Amino acid sequence: MIQKHMKSLIGIITLITCLLALGVIPTDAKPHEELEFEPIQFKPPVPQKHVLSNGMILYLLEDHELPIFDISGLVKTGTIYDPADKIGLASIFASVMRTGGTISREPDILNEELESMAASVEIGMSPEYGSVSLSSLAEDIEKGLEIFSDILQNPAFREDKLELRKQQAIEAIRRRNDNPIQLAWRNFSSTLYGKDHPFGWYSEIEHVESITVEDLQAFHSKYYHPNNIMLAITGDFDTDTLIMQLETTFDGWATSEIELPKITEVENAPVPSVNYIHKDLPQTTMLIGHFGIKRTPDFPDFFALRVMNEILGEGGFTSRLMAEVREKHGLAYMVGSLMSMSFYTNPGEWFAYSQTRTEKTAEAIELIINVVKDLRENPVPSDELQRTKDSLINSFVFSFESSSQIAFQQMMLAYRGFAPDYLETYTDNIAGVTAEDVQNVAQKYLHPDALTIVTVGNQENFDRPLSEFGEVNVIEIKQPDPPPTEPIPEASDTDIAKAREILDASVDAYGGLNKLAAVNNFVLESNNTLNTPGGQMELEVGITLLYPDKYRQDINTPQGTISMIYDGEAAFATSAMGIQPLPPEITTAIKDAVFRDPIHLLVHLSQSESAQIQFAGSEDVAGSPASILVTEQPSGEMLKIYISEETNYIVKLVYRETEQGVTLNKENIYSDFREIDGIMIPHGYVQNIEGNPYIDSRSTSVKLNAEIDESLFEKPE
Amino acid sequence: MKHIRSLLILLFLTLSSVVSAQNLADRVVEHEFDNGLKLLMIERHTSPTVAPYILFKAGAVDESDDARGIAHMLEHMLFKGTKTIGTTDYEKEKEVLAEIDTLGDALDREQAKGSKADASKITELEGALRTKQEEAKQWIVSGEYTKIYTQHGSTGFNAGTSVDYTIYTVELPSNKLELWAMLESDRLKNAVLREFYVEREAVKEERRMAVDTRPGGKLYEQFIAAAFTAHPYGMPIIGWPSDIAMLNRNKAKEFFKIHYAPNNSVMVIVGDINIENTIKLIDKYFGDIPSQPLPDEVTVREPEQEGERRIEVEFDAEPQMMIGFHKPTIPHFDDYVLDMISAILSDGRTSRFYKNIVEQSIAVSADSINGYPGARYDNLFVISATPRSPNSTVDVEEALYAELEKLKTEPVEEKEFKRILKQIDAGFIRALSSNAGMANQLAFYEGIAGDWRYILNWREKMYEIKPEDIMRVAKTYFKKSNRTVATLVKKDVETSEDMVDEEESE
Repeated sequence: MIQKHMKSLIGIITLITCLLALGVIPTDAKPHEELEFEPIQFKPPVPQKHVLSNGMILYLLEDHELPIFDISGLVKTGTIYDPADKIGLASIFASVMRTGGTISREPDILNEELESMAASVEIGMSPEYGSVSLSSLAEDIEKGLEIFSDILQNPAFREDKLELRKQQAIEAIRRRNDNPIQLAWRNFSSTLYGKDHPFGWYSEIEHVESITVEDLQAFHSKYYHPNNIMLAITGDFDTDTLIMQLETTFDGWATSEIELPKITEVENAPVPSVNYIHKDLPQTTMLIGHFGIKRTPDFPDFFALRVMNEILGEGGFTSRLMAEVREKHGLAYMVGSLMSMSFYTNPGEWFAYSQTRTEKTAEAIELIINVVKDLRENPVPSDELQRTKDSLINSFVFSFESSSQIAFQQMMLAYRGFAPDYLETYTDNIAGVTAEDVQNVAQKYLHPDALTIVTVGNQENFDRPLSEFGEVNVIEIKQPDPPPTEPIPEASDTDIAKAREILDASVDAYGGLNKLAAVNNFVLESNNTLNTPGGQMELEVGITLLYPDKYRQDINTPQGTISMIYDGEAAFATSAMGIQPLPPEITTAIKDAVFRDPIHLLVHLSQSESAQIQFAGSEDVAGSPASILVTEQPSGEMLKIYISEETNYIVKLVYRETEQGVTLNKENIYSDFREIDGIMIPHGYVQNIEGNPYIDSRSTSVKLNAEIDESLFEKPE
Repeated sequence: MKHIRSLLILLFLTLSSVVSAQNLADRVVEHEFDNGLKLLMIERHTSPTVAPYILFKAGAVDESDDARGIAHMLEHMLFKGTKTIGTTDYEKEKEVLAEIDTLGDALDREQAKGSKADASKITELEGALRTKQEEAKQWIVSGEYTKIYTQHGSTGFNAGTSVDYTIYTVELPSNKLELWAMLESDRLKNAVLREFYVEREAVKEERRMAVDTRPGGKLYEQFIAAAFTAHPYGMPIIGWPSDIAMLNRNKAKEFFKIHYAPNNSVMVIVGDINIENTIKLIDKYFGDIPSQPLPDEVTVREPEQEGERRIEVEFDAEPQMMIGFHKPTIPHFDDYVLDMISAILSDGRTSRFYKNIVEQSIAVSADSINGYPGARYDNLFVISATPRSPNSTVDVEEALYAELEKLKTEPVEEKEFKRILKQIDAGFIRALSSNAGMANQLAFYEGIAGDWRYILNWREKMYEIKPEDIMRVAKTYFKKSNRTVATLVKKDVETSEDMVDEEESE
């Protein structure tokens, strides 16, 4: 009945249907078992392969059902080629290649052109390949191709779009612990491969911050050449005409020798580990697994593994994990397993997963492990094996549902080096898998004694301690570092000129640039009321500033004086407790504070040629209008300076500052301006943090150009 | 088996174009059977596959207050087989199933007493229930219904429950259409809702997964509950935990009996079929299911909102937000205008939210959707956004409102309309390239709008919209008093621990 060695797909699919139609009907058959099915006659269309003169490989398949046109392409590159100090480069590159416009097309114009013809071009990045796509109506093929080719050949990687994408990437990093599945998976991979391997590492804020336009350009010129690209093209076109069009469109795009960086292969020696990540949720997310397989074309056990995985946990509702954990015990909604079959540079992952209520965590883990063990220890019953094989064979026709799917599939097989007849022999190969084969691969590729277990949940309410499965490694999840600086908007020449005008008026109002620039130091004493979580607190504070960059702050507390000193390079604190260096975060904050001192600020902005300043609108401060000027502080954080339109004094400063890892919005409001030695000095000062009043300060004494001892800024021995 | 609350969005996104609408109009064949069952077909021979879908106009909105979550629970239960599938001897199994019902009810009632419950009675009932469940297993063939489909090469075998309807989906090799007709009609005629209490546990896990552990799911549930005070659209499809805990087989059977009638359903078959044979086939299997009087529509109307509603939802996650405005549903003209507004605000990289909010890096995402949570009754225009730190939800909200204000005061430019209309037409063409996608759309519009031609009519209406319409509609609905704003705020883990410490030390 089963014809061996089918040569064409017609035969194969006819076979499938016969297989079921002619199956032996038992005497107590249920009605559906008595149904007979007409054999299907289907010969899937075969894409035509063509190599352009520049080396680009095409898989073309005409389909005139609908007036549409699609290209889906692969580029030999991938996120695995990220440099270790710039993890995330490849995916940021792909986004900005699309959003950054081309040399001749501004991003807005590019988007407008594409969307007004209901077309799209997208660039993507996966671990082992890059993807490019075009989708348009058939009437717009020519224009679509021209834009597609422009993006491939001439991406501009505009700075502002890179900056935007970096900010988005950083935001994603900040949010990466929100979802328990994502959290569990990331830690499963990094536990398995280690953080030094491309399959295990993940991007941190400093990686993202270090990425430059030059990095993107270098990535492009390294990998994006016609001889490194394959395209699957489908839709309503004429093949010969299209090939000529493509020759013209990509004419002049030079080929280049591409040397792919060497990817280290991880040592496939599973080490068991039990990992716990605390998250106060009513359900535990668990991943249980180890390395899977490296799927090169010569990998021998694919078909037996395909059947085994289907039986274990990839076969949806009929898999064993689903039957056992969900249908039988009601311990999950989502449960199954996944063995990656798509990686060829390294073994992929294999894991079983479940999301189970906290109180049944250990029970679910145990059930899963037992299902895995059973598959190794006992042969699969023949009806289950037959059903699984039938399912894979009968559903195979869905691999040929659309022309775009057919062409893409053919291209992907070629990309990964598979034989051209791979699909033709697929169903025969599945049909040939025996119960013994399944058990053999289960024993060879599943290792219940070497599992990496990752759980995210709240162990206080686990049914049994996790330590039952091995020594528990607690993974501490640290909220990623604070957000980076806010970018300063691009300024027009008018805004810059206007800012200079306002600044000059302010300098005059304070007493003129000559007087301001002549100030050598500033000594202040003040009474301060602080709103602390424990209630209000009164403090006397003295500040000594030696321009341009030395700073000292003395705080009188009941425990004695605490001084914070910055000598222009390093910061330290002295108190009854001794001398302590201050962390870089505080040094940065002090540098910014010195920068913000009104006298320093006015002189610096007026005199320094590199100082950038721009006008950014007006707003009322305490009921009277103020102009807003924007500049950058030494930390890179933006500073908004509010200058009263009535008095021309600086009445408010708005900025951000990081304290103990948290970035806070702060504003300083100045009042009570009095003349000291011909210079206007505010005597009242209020600081708000995140909109709440924090400090209310009254100056009791202000001196300019006082006699001060430079040793005040030196570190005592 | 999953509830599709995002279905409507997908529809509006894909429902963008027709080989011209005309091509679609020419290709849909309709047939109505004597029992009121409506069949829609599209013949497409691209591959030897077929997508048969059935939609019942019965969703969470049709539930009674003492059975919230039953539409979704029933959808799960309809995969448990029939009198012949999933059992070796239904006559014997039946008696034990009835005993399980009695024990399960008694146990639920006792457990519902909470702290006043009798613990020993609970233990006793649990034990008895477990014994009966074990006894029933001697006849139950677990998962048989699903296994048959899988063995015959099904893909996309699933179902979804929304507030408005329940849809059963599958794709099969086209020679298996009769198998489908037989199995589907069998479950309409002879469904047996076995293994109820175990499945109820799986549904509880589904709720934990989709709502209780997922920041977006939690925010949405609270948001929608705040937006509706009277209309059942405010209730979660899956039910609140205490609703699920009280669901039973009788409630499911009752819901099934009232709502799963041929004259309350739409069948759509798209793919490699012969029209005449298909009609005969469906008649053979479904023609003898009697029609029945249909249940009343929901009569309660959401009263006009009397002022802004703002809620916070605490969760261990970074902030995000949703804003909803009440508005009329289809076929009110303003609903079409709001579809257009949604496209202007958030479709693609030329949209206003993308250019003025995402590209300005105020938010990492900002989207709008017209028509949540359903379309049978007046619903919401919803905006959802995720701020980019250091911007807060307050900053994002301000930026979103600035865009809504512009709609009220500045006429939309011709080229903006043109671009969206072109996208709509292209979308109609692309939609036809998938059997499953087409089946889904036809079922939805026939079932919910009452006529699949709504799709064609929709396109025409979109072409009629004028800049004045946009300004008028924006002014009418985008008002402070008409909105509900929900923000997800980070639960301050440290602070709450600190407080506990303080209390303990006192």
